[in-house]
Amino acid sequence: MIEIILLVSSILFIFALKLFGRPSTAHRANTFAMLAMALAVFSAFNFDFSKYDSAFYITIVVSGLLGVLISKRVQMTQMPELVGLFNGFGGGASGAIAYVELSGSSLPISDVFVAIFSMVIGMFTFSGSLVAVMKLRGKLNNFSKKLADIFSVFLPTIIVIPAVLEMDDLLIEFIILVALVAGIIRVAVIGGADMPVVIAFLNSLSGIAAMSAGFIVNSIILIVAGALVGASGIILTLLMCAAMNRTLLDVLKGGFGGTAINNEYDKDPISTSPEDVAIQLSYAESVVIVPGYGMAVAQAQAAVKELTNTLKDKNIEVKFAIHPVAGRMPGHMNVLLAEVDIDYEDMFTLEDINSEFSSTDVVIVLGANDVVNPLARTDEDSPIYGMPILDVDLAQQVIVIKRSMSPGYAGIANPLFVNDNAKMLFSDAKEGLENIIKSFELV
Amino acid sequence: MEATFLLTLLITFLASFIGYELISKIPQTLHTPLMSGSNAISGITLIAAILIYPEAGESQLLKIIVLIAIAFATLNIVGGFSVTGRILEMFKKND
Repeated sequence: MIEIILLVSSILFIFALKLFGRPSTAHRANTFAMLAMALAVFSAFNFDFSKYDSAFYITIVVSGLLGVLISKRVQMTQMPELVGLFNGFGGGASGAIAYVELSGSSLPISDVFVAIFSMVIGMFTFSGSLVAVMKLRGKLNNFSKKLADIFSVFLPTIIVIPAVLEMDDLLIEFIILVALVAGIIRVAVIGGADMPVVIAFLNSLSGIAAMSAGFIVNSIILIVAGALVGASGIILTLLMCAAMNRTLLDVLKGGFGGTAINNEYDKDPISTSPEDVAIQLSYAESVVIVPGYGMAVAQAQAAVKELTNTLKDKNIEVKFAIHPVAGRMPGHMNVLLAEVDIDYEDMFTLEDINSEFSSTDVVIVLGANDVVNPLARTDEDSPIYGMPILDVDLAQQVIVIKRSMSPGYAGIANPLFVNDNAKMLFSDAKEGLENIIKSFELV
Repeated sequence: MEATFLLTLLITFLASFIGYELISKIPQTLHTPLMSGSNAISGITLIAAILIYPEAGESQLLKIIVLIAIAFATLNIVGGFSVTGRILEMFKKND
C-alpha cells in the first residue's frame, strides 16, 4: 500500500514539472506538487501515528502556520531573500538529519560516507544561505570582506585543533564547524549582482543534501525529489553563468565588481526632462522597456504599469526586455511585473527581442546598466566582454532613467549613456516615471 | 542488497535526467516560482526526519535536533508551496 502511494506521489511530481512549463498551466503544477508532497509525507508515517509525541505534532503545526504567515506577508521585491532563507532551511534540515544519523545509530560504513557528505553540503548551504540573505538585505555592505578575512584565519586554526587535542569523539561536530565556516567565507566574498548565481547554486545544494539524506534512510521518493531540486538548481546556475559569460568557479571565487575600475567619459551625456520624454514617447509607435535592479529598489513597478497603460491607450506597442541576470534572482523582474498585472506575453527574453531593437522607436532603460553596456560586444579588455547584452543602442532613441552616471556592478563606464541616440533622465526610477506620466496629461 | 543499491542509483539517474529535460523547458518568466517551488520540494527531507524521530527519542539532544530539522522542513514545504501559489496566480490569465 505504501509503495503504491509513493508511486503515485512520484508520478505526480514529474507531472507537476511538466505542467510548470507554461505560465497558463503552472498554477495547476503547484497543486499537483502539493498533492505529491502530502502523499509522500503521509506515507512516511506508515499508518502509525501513535509513535509520535505531542512535541512532534506541535512543531509541525507551529512551523506550518509560520510558513503560511511568512508567505502571505512577503513582498515580491523580497523574493530573493525568502528563497535564500528557504535554501538555508532545506540544507540545514538535511544536514541536521545526517548529524543525528551519524551520532545516534550504528550506520554501515558506506552510509557513513553518504551521511558525512549530506551533513557537509547541508551545513554549508545553511550558513552560506544566511550570509546571502544578509547580503541581499544590505546588512553586510562593507563588512563582508572583513567577515571573510576573519573566518579565513579562523578556518586553519580550527582544522589543527582536533589533531592537537586528539578529540576523536568530537570529530563530527568539528566537521560541522568547518562546513559552516566554509559556507560563510565562500558567500561573503561574492558581490551583490552575482547573487542570481549564488542563490541558484545554493538551491541546487539544498536538493543534493536532501537526496543524500534519502540514501541514508533508504527513501526513494526523497532521493527522487531531492534529485529534481538539485537538477533545477544546476540548470538555473548554468543559465545565469552563461548570461554573464562567466564560469561557476569564477563566480564562486568572488571579488568581482563592486569597485569603479574606469568611469571616464570622453563627452558629456545629453540630459533630458520628463516633458521631453513624454513628447518623444507620444510620437513613437513601438516602445521597449528594460527593467533592472533599480526598478525593484525604487519600487517602481506600479509606475511602470501606469506608463504602459498610458502608452497602450495611445496605440503604442509596449514590450519588456528582460535580461536573465536582471535583479537579484532568476526571473525576479518577471515576477515584479506580473504582480502589477503586466501580461507575461509582453515580457521577452534576450534571444527573442535582440533582433527587434533596430526597428524599435524608443527604448527606456530603467535601473539597468551592465546588461545594456555595448562594451560587452566591442571591448576585448572589458571585464564584461562576451557577456550577452540587450542591444538597446541599436534602437532609434534610448532614454536612460538613472540617478547618476555612476557605474554598474562591473565598475566600468557605459558608453551607451553618451551615445548620440541616448538621453539621460537623471532621476529615481519611480519618480522619473511618475513625472513622465504627469507630463503626458499636459501634452 | 547490491541489486537494490544499483536499482536505487538507476532511479536517481533517471529522475535527474527527466528533471533536467523538463526543467530546461521552463521559461525564464517562471524562474522565480520555480525556485520557491523547489524550496518547497527540498522540504521533503521531512520524510527522513519522520522516519528517524522515534529512534532519536532516547537522546534528548538528538530529539531536539530532529525537531529543529522538522521545523525547517515544514516551513519550507508550507511556506514554499504557499508563496509559489501566490506568484503563479499572478501569471494566470484573467480573460
